[in-house]
Amino acid sequence: MAGWRAALLGAAWLVGLAWDATAQPVLRVGMAAQDVGRLDPHFATSTIDRVVVGWMFNGLVRFAPGSADPATIEPDLAERWDSSADGKTWTFHLRRGVRFHGNYGELTAEDVAFSLKKAGTAASSAFSADFRSIGSVEAVDPYTVRIVLRENVPSLLGILTNYSGGYIVSKRAAEERGDGFTRAPIGTGPFALDRVTPSQSAELVAHAEYFREAPQIGRISYRFIPSDASRDLAFQNRELDLNYGRSDQTWVNRMRQQPGVTVDIFEPAELAILNLNITQPPFNDLRVRQALAHAVNRAELVRWRGTDVSREGQSLVPRGYLGFIEAGVLPHDPVRARALLAEAGHGSGLTVKVIHTQLPEMLNMMQVVQQQLRRAGITLDLQVVEHATFHQQIRQDLSPLVYYSAARFPVADIYLTQFWHGRSIVKTPTAVTNFSHCSQADAQIDAARVSTDREEQLKLWGEAQRILVQQVCGVPLVETLLVFARRDALDYGYPLRGSMSLGPPITERTRLR
Amino acid sequence: MRADGAASLTWIGGLLCLAVLLAALLAPWIAPFDPAEQSILDRLQPPGGDHWLGTDQFGRDILSRLLWGARISLTVSLGAIGLAMVVGGTIGLVSGYIGGRLDLFTMQVMDVLLSFPSLILGLIVVALLGPDLVNLVIAIALTAIAPFARIARAPTLSLKERAFVEAGRALGYSHARILFGHILPNILPEVLVMATLWLATAVRVEASLAFVGLGPKPPTPTWGGMTRDGFETILDAPWLAVFPGLAILLLVLGLNMVGDGLRDATDPKLRHE
Repeated sequence: MAGWRAALLGAAWLVGLAWDATAQPVLRVGMAAQDVGRLDPHFATSTIDRVVVGWMFNGLVRFAPGSADPATIEPDLAERWDSSADGKTWTFHLRRGVRFHGNYGELTAEDVAFSLKKAGTAASSAFSADFRSIGSVEAVDPYTVRIVLRENVPSLLGILTNYSGGYIVSKRAAEERGDGFTRAPIGTGPFALDRVTPSQSAELVAHAEYFREAPQIGRISYRFIPSDASRDLAFQNRELDLNYGRSDQTWVNRMRQQPGVTVDIFEPAELAILNLNITQPPFNDLRVRQALAHAVNRAELVRWRGTDVSREGQSLVPRGYLGFIEAGVLPHDPVRARALLAEAGHGSGLTVKVIHTQLPEMLNMMQVVQQQLRRAGITLDLQVVEHATFHQQIRQDLSPLVYYSAARFPVADIYLTQFWHGRSIVKTPTAVTNFSHCSQADAQIDAARVSTDREEQLKLWGEAQRILVQQVCGVPLVETLLVFARRDALDYGYPLRGSMSLGPPITERTRLR
Repeated sequence: MRADGAASLTWIGGLLCLAVLLAALLAPWIAPFDPAEQSILDRLQPPGGDHWLGTDQFGRDILSRLLWGARISLTVSLGAIGLAMVVGGTIGLVSGYIGGRLDLFTMQVMDVLLSFPSLILGLIVVALLGPDLVNLVIAIALTAIAPFARIARAPTLSLKERAFVEAGRALGYSHARILFGHILPNILPEVLVMATLWLATAVRVEASLAFVGLGPKPPTPTWGGMTRDGFETILDAPWLAVFPGLAILLLVLGLNMVGDGLRDATDPKLRHE
């Protein structure tokens, strides 16, 4: 038996030697970034980091490549799973022979248990709140993991996908490398991190022992080019094969006119919302909030951004998320807005100081909103600050109106909990991103989370959205889709309709013709 | 022949500056559109038709924004250089006149200020105080105080030994009267020439600060801010960056031409030539 194993290992080693990554094509990707941040997948929160992490790691389950639809979730590192009758105990059976990058050996249940515990701990993960319902994770044997829940959750498979905290890391590498793991992570994905050169690129090399099959692309050069114009020029000059795009119709049209170029527009859309602090003047008056909602012209915002890349927000949860309903947002009506302002004692107009980021994409959108509100008598006095300062100050509750744009796992519970639940109010110990201080729908959100009846759950999520929209806790603006341009020579190996890693998944089937 | 050429350049520079000054003063009457009014349907229109210089990504008229932006550029630059001239000039005068340890200390402080490039010092101050018009004026003034102090101090050192100053002292005039009534009028031409040359620097620094996002709040039009906004869409609509860039270029060129001409006119060596 031992002889057979040695022979097999020797054969695998020979195949690895014969397979030469340098002989395979190099995929050159242009990204709007100065540098990558934290490549420990449990800390990868920015688009820049999420895209590259998606190429290096797997989850127990995964979205089918090119999809962000939870209905397509399929086995990844786990080949099958089963759950107890009450839905609180889940057992995952792992694939055998899955190898980590480098010399970190075979994936075992110990790595999975370590990863999920790490993802659920605030000190070692930015996504720990998603794992609150998990009571315990244990390795039953080297290829079996048991997860016991404290309470029922809308989608356990959802948090175990190849997304955010669901990525599985090498226990040995994480323990050995400590803080260094964030810049030298080890996963099981089709590509391994080779090196990061600050302000230049992150270089990835194909993982020859990838459990599905060896990737057809040898290397990925993930190049940091923050200026849109410079990146576009590099793409036009064929120095890039894949280019991070601007969610703007003019950009899309220009790229589409280039020969041999395909523009991919895909889910998940980021929903932009004006979050109104209902505990502070002037937005503690419902009439002022309604006036602001009537002043917003979503159709104009879509026209400005482009009909191919954006759509009107119709609820305080993005369209397409499980549980989304059209919640009856107030229509554009500047006359009604002025009347409501006058009723609330602001007949001569209202000025609101707002902290906002200088990030061009967000600042530009806010300037269109500023103009729309000005027509209705609401002046936004924008205090423009650097992006990191913006995030810090809005979490200190320093702005009565917060423009925030985000995509989350496509189940209503996540968005409702993080943005609209009382437990998530900013400047509290359990704060997430509830800038409005709304807690009127807490009962419905909590009940829906633990409900085992899908119909009941959907009804409760719908009810929560109606309450929040009626209370005007926030005003939805537009949903903006992700945009990338690629040379036709790049074939993803699947149709790209969505990607939770916010960039096109580069898999073992992706090839450069 | 050379003098004629220099004079022509000074006149051309003067005309450029005058044109910008008139544009700034008359902006409310000659700008064809409200510089902040958006028209999403008209976004990114090329030059021509109703919009002579085209429109930006919000459908705002670029010509109108340029005219109103001239006001910001000139207000900030003139305000900053005026402030630097008064503060720096006074420091130089007093320091040179009193001399001794005070002079030594003051000039060392000025040397420290001079060691910072104008843009870096401006960036630090605006980042600390916040980007509004008054803070911009203060930030740019701070970058220009040291050169004015130096230019005022040098002639003061020699003038204070001259007979007319001695006579003033003998007659019992106060120090303030001697400084501002007798020495200042003699150094004023040099300070004014310096001011003209530094105005160009002030315009450039203001535009650079606005370019990196430290200008007045949106939707206030500034030339630097317009150039920055246009830069990201330069492949789709190059006119967004080209026209404000050109405006900065012409104003800085004009101010430098006037400054050079005035310097030549007040330089006794060049005057003989």
